[in-house]
Amino acid sequence: MSVGVALLGWQAMNTLHIVPSGLLASPAQVVAALIDISRHGYRGTSLGEDIGATLLRALGGFAVGTIVGVPLGLWMGMNRFAAAGADWLVQFLRPLPPLSFLVLLMLWLGTGDVAKVGLLAITAFPIIASASYAAVAGVPVQKIQAAASLGASRGQIFRHVVLPAALPTISTGLRIALAAAFSTVVAAELMAGSDGLGWMIFSASQFLRNDVILLGIIILGILGMALNSILLGLDRGIIHWRGRE
Amino acid sequence: MKRLIARRPWIVTLLAIAFVLAAWATATWTGAVSDLLLPTPDELWSGAADLVVNGYKGYSLGAHIGLSLMRVAVGFGIGTILGTILGLTMGMSPTVDALAAPFIEFLRPLPQLAYLVLLIVWFGIGETPKIVLLFLAALPVSAVAARDGVRQVSPQRLQAAQSLGASRFQIFLHIVLPSALGDIFIGARLSIGIVYATLIAAEMIAGSSGIGWLILDAGRFLRSDYVIAGILVIAAMGIGLDRGLLLAQRRIVHWAGK
Repeated sequence: MSVGVALLGWQAMNTLHIVPSGLLASPAQVVAALIDISRHGYRGTSLGEDIGATLLRALGGFAVGTIVGVPLGLWMGMNRFAAAGADWLVQFLRPLPPLSFLVLLMLWLGTGDVAKVGLLAITAFPIIASASYAAVAGVPVQKIQAAASLGASRGQIFRHVVLPAALPTISTGLRIALAAAFSTVVAAELMAGSDGLGWMIFSASQFLRNDVILLGIIILGILGMALNSILLGLDRGIIHWRGRE
Repeated sequence: MKRLIARRPWIVTLLAIAFVLAAWATATWTGAVSDLLLPTPDELWSGAADLVVNGYKGYSLGAHIGLSLMRVAVGFGIGTILGTILGLTMGMSPTVDALAAPFIEFLRPLPQLAYLVLLIVWFGIGETPKIVLLFLAALPVSAVAARDGVRQVSPQRLQAAQSLGASRFQIFLHIVLPSALGDIFIGARLSIGIVYATLIAAEMIAGSSGIGWLILDAGRFLRSDYVIAGILVIAAMGIGLDRGLLLAQRRIVHWAGK
């Protein structure tokens, strides 16, 4: 309802020339831009390629961060020496704004996709590692002791007690990390990109193509909501025991 | 030896830090890694000292830090205050919630930098677009936190206050606000992290001052010593901002968890 009214108001502001269309394209112009770009692409890349490039980078960096972060966090939770050896690094990286690494990564790896995926991995990794660590550390000791006193081996305790109890928190950490990676990928593409939605918005701003900027923002908003709901759906499907302990 | 370490895990932490520092020193001093990419420890030290003494490109280091903090303070302050008011209203009134929720839910997962270019088109390249950007980054986070805080107020307490004859305003002031304040602060700490990360990105993309711009500009001139010194300053500022809010939270919401 309120979205519809806002859309109408937006279109009305434009048709009545309250806002110059150089500053804010009308909804009709945005739709026209969508049709134009999905047919002809934007400056050599098709819309699908730009969306794909952005998503691939975000998911690639997120995947690397997950593959490194979850095992490391679990290990830190199970072994206090691992925690003592690695936690300082994770806690140092976590509050650092991801883009501050981008300068170094571009010095080291150039301006291509390796630097961007590396940046997103560094964005996602500390969030995931500290969530996994906190998840294991939060497993009630009674449960572990109960399993141990029934004769479970360390491997069995890990598989049947620790992991199921830790998964809900890990999953929450993964959602936060993916959102952070998605924000960062757009910033990285704005700074140094030649494709992707962030690049499309930046390039459109230099040609004062307001309709394309707005289209990019709307697509990014929808993608962001979609990524979050997909992870939320996976969470509900896989971790069916959440909140029932 | 083993027992000594088993009792004091922090020894492992020190060993790990010492190992990383030693690896850095060996890699750079032996020339295995070019100092254009990674400064040697003494270069980093003199680079950092140079930044502190001489500043960077017309501003002292303190001025860069101050500009960045000022932007964070204004954007975060306005965004948090208005977001909290909006969130509290959304929590109290289902109508307001239905009106505002779609926009908040759209804005929240949207990469903040996506609307930066639009703000630059609208407001020019001065301070205004950056502060509006930070405001927009903080607003949805605090609105959602405040709304969820209001919703989690226990119905028993509301009913108890009602049955004692409290007015709607009294209920809000004495029941809802104190119980929601904990969530509001959790939201504020989440949002300052986002705002700070957004600020650094915004200064890098469209800035000519501030600590984020400093490391970007230093990177262009391959001054890796300035870049790393700047990253360390950024890290210290980020931790400081978070700790500052944590202190404020403990002071103001001293009843949390009781």
